[in-house]
Amino acid sequence: MNGNLSAVLLKLNAVDLSYGTVCTASQVPRPFTLHVSSGERLAILGPSGAGKSTLLRLMALDFVPVMGEVIFKGRVRKGWTVAELSHHRAVMPQNCSVAFGLDVHLVIALGRVARAFDPSLSDIVVAAARLARADHLLSRRCDTLSGGEYARVHLARVFAQLWDVTEGLILVDEPLAALDLGLQDSILQALDRFAIDRQHAVVAVLHDVNHALRAFDRLLLVKEGQLFADLASTQQAVPFFESLYGLKLECLRTADNAFVVSPVSKRRQEACTR
Amino acid sequence: MSPHALLQARPGWWLGASLCLALGFAVQLGAVPITVTDWLLIHKVLEWPATSEVSEALSGGAHVLFNLRLPRLLLSVLVGASLGVSGALTQSLFRNPLAEPGLLGVSAGAACAAALTIVLIGELPTIIVAEVRVLLLPLAAFTGALVVCFSLEHMARWIAPGSIAALLLTGIAMNALAGAVIGLCTYLANDEQLRSLSFWTLGSLAGAQWLWVGLFAGLLGTGYCRLRRSMRTLNALALGETAARQIGVDVDTLRKQIIVWVALLAGLAVAFCGMISFVGLIAPHLVRLWVGPDQRQVLPLSMLLGGLLLLVADTLARVVAVPAEVPVGIFTALVGAPFFFVLVRQARVQAG
Amino acid sequence: MDLARLQSAGLLTRRQTLGYLAWCAAVPFAMRSTATNASVVKRVICIGGALTEIVYLLQADADLVGVDTTSLYPAMAKTLPSVGYARQLSAEGILSLAPSHLLATEEAGPPAVLKQIAAAGVRMTVLPAHHQYEGLRQRVLGVGKVLERSEFAQIIVQRLDSQWQQVRQQLAAQALQRVRPVRVMFVLTHSPVQVLVAGASTAAQAMLTYAGATNAVRGFKGYKPLTPEAMIAAQPDCLLVTEQGLQAAGGLEALYKLPGLAQTPAGRSQAVITMDALRLLGFGPRMPEAVLALNQAFQGL
Repeated sequence: MNGNLSAVLLKLNAVDLSYGTVCTASQVPRPFTLHVSSGERLAILGPSGAGKSTLLRLMALDFVPVMGEVIFKGRVRKGWTVAELSHHRAVMPQNCSVAFGLDVHLVIALGRVARAFDPSLSDIVVAAARLARADHLLSRRCDTLSGGEYARVHLARVFAQLWDVTEGLILVDEPLAALDLGLQDSILQALDRFAIDRQHAVVAVLHDVNHALRAFDRLLLVKEGQLFADLASTQQAVPFFESLYGLKLECLRTADNAFVVSPVSKRRQEACTR
Repeated sequence: MSPHALLQARPGWWLGASLCLALGFAVQLGAVPITVTDWLLIHKVLEWPATSEVSEALSGGAHVLFNLRLPRLLLSVLVGASLGVSGALTQSLFRNPLAEPGLLGVSAGAACAAALTIVLIGELPTIIVAEVRVLLLPLAAFTGALVVCFSLEHMARWIAPGSIAALLLTGIAMNALAGAVIGLCTYLANDEQLRSLSFWTLGSLAGAQWLWVGLFAGLLGTGYCRLRRSMRTLNALALGETAARQIGVDVDTLRKQIIVWVALLAGLAVAFCGMISFVGLIAPHLVRLWVGPDQRQVLPLSMLLGGLLLLVADTLARVVAVPAEVPVGIFTALVGAPFFFVLVRQARVQAG
Repeated sequence: MDLARLQSAGLLTRRQTLGYLAWCAAVPFAMRSTATNASVVKRVICIGGALTEIVYLLQADADLVGVDTTSLYPAMAKTLPSVGYARQLSAEGILSLAPSHLLATEEAGPPAVLKQIAAAGVRMTVLPAHHQYEGLRQRVLGVGKVLERSEFAQIIVQRLDSQWQQVRQQLAAQALQRVRPVRVMFVLTHSPVQVLVAGASTAAQAMLTYAGATNAVRGFKGYKPLTPEAMIAAQPDCLLVTEQGLQAAGGLEALYKLPGLAQTPAGRSQAVITMDALRLLGFGPRMPEAVLALNQAFQGL
């Protein structure tokens, strides 16, 4: 899980999140600077509406920030054409409905639409689907899929997009939301394997703190439209979680010496204070 | 291979064959009976340039065949193809299977611009040469269609995305606005202008000429070649604007390209033939039911099926009330409107 | 006085028509020997009721192979094949009747179809009336020329001229006596929501003026909708409607209910004159006696 820290992939220089978001336009802007190296794993955490998706979109170069600049592989947004950019970074959206009920195979193949047609496209699609555990869905139509199946198809699309590229950037927005426990684990592993094999950096918006702690190296905590903290994903982060979510948390050790964070129930809290 | 699989395997060939068959039938149907000897006079037609003796040699059935019926049949196929493909493009642009240039007011906008031109040109002194006037109407219709398309596209940005109801309501508003302007023009028009104006609302393929056939063939050919390269990226639009951009599609350029072609195809169809609705709705929908929603197949097959549909409708229009003629727009509306209701119900069932 | 003083000009027309038909019957007897023999077989399609009447008057109805939907007089014209509505002709439909000539009023269309028919070798003659008596004369002479009955047509024109002369003299005499001309409003169609009346540059106004009345509404051209206030401001003495228009809109009861009508002299005395549409507005051969009939109806108010 250690990333290759040699090359700086993405730089956010003095950007501010609250511009362009709905919340707290009256707040004094507090710009921040942040670097992402190639092969790194970042998780973005925070309460609902805090601006996590905005930060993800900023990092995806979806829009040009009002304050500061975003530099990806040495170029700002204007220096990239849309097609070129898609060869180096891929985004998995939170909810993306596909009109007209296209075939799953076609949707995954769309990941590579910005490249010249090549005969191995079908093989890449099938391999990407297998990796994302969506290979049994290949002949289905998108409008017959459940939420979890949808998420896997889009993940397969992301895989297909960056299949033959190294040192790219993958951004995922709540990929595990609609998945059951078993699937969550295998998806995280698939994403991890894919990224390690090709030295892609991964930035993910997550809602489950434990997933973040387990699978990601670095945590970005977002609260009320500001970057609250940028720290390594270790036990030292727990107090930050507490002030982020406004909850009392406790760390529980597991049998193999890993730890799990769990909120303290209100009843026990009251019992402790009494 | 089972019959179903056989049908799925080569849809283009099936449609092409049906089209040729329909053309064969349609050319024999009509008020004036055509005999084999009339067909054999084709060698006279092919003498180019047409001398006066040649045109005199053609009379009766042969004249009707080569100067009236054939251009009209071919024009109905070409205009139907234009409407079919512009319907498919509109649907992919708005990510909505119920979108269609007629329903969304694009045809009405073209007719409205043409009506304004007719009435205003009457006011201007006749310094405008006759040839220019002939060009002016198609140009006006194209401009009107373009304006409506751009307005729709802007409005569709802040309507709830994927909302069928909101898009259709906007279309209703567009249709109402264009209709009101056409009504105003009708009010202001003198008798002669009125005669031209009444032509726009019902749609008719009478008056088809070889010149128009050539124009539409050229237009469709050019359009198809240009759009062939974009068919893969058209599929990407189904994912939504943001996702499409993220996978590397230049959405803005693509949208503009689609709008221009829809305006050209639908606008010129209105300019020459009046308002013919529902072909652009039915053809792509049937094609999607048959071969699925991949634009690489939907676009060319919509052309073929649209041509077939309008050919059949126009043949009915010519034949049903001989020797009079029913405007073809009536037939397309009679079939298309109930079909539309069925589609809306299906969409509601799926959504709810 | 409250009774519906329906001057349906019916009684008058019958008398007029009988005289007219008698005249029609008498003249050709004398003229048959001088009528030219048509050497070429003519197949004529006639677009426009007025022109069809003229064809029958010239006794050339044997050449007629097709008419349009407005050719309703004489009654036997309705038995001929119909080529449809004058403004929406079908090239193939017309050509299927293998015509050699096409006679049309200015209403025939669409222009592209007319071009196609002409290109197919059919000799086309368009005869507008321009809402004038002179137009009627031109029409009779024009039809006579096409059907190769010019001398016969001349005679008919002379008869029409003398008839017209009589009518004009009568009207001129009236104009000297009467204080003010009757104010008439011609209603084309009406529904509970809209009343379409004739303004300037219409056949209806031309007929009214010929018949010695004035149009109660003025200030616009063509057929335009009228608001109830404008109806009251116009203060028409009587309404003029076509029989067909009245029937289509639900009869006299519907007409009397028009908003604003009750506050006008026409509404108070329920003065409505109806006449057959083709006879009133067609500018066909019945025009002089139609003008006379109108005038007598106005006098009788």
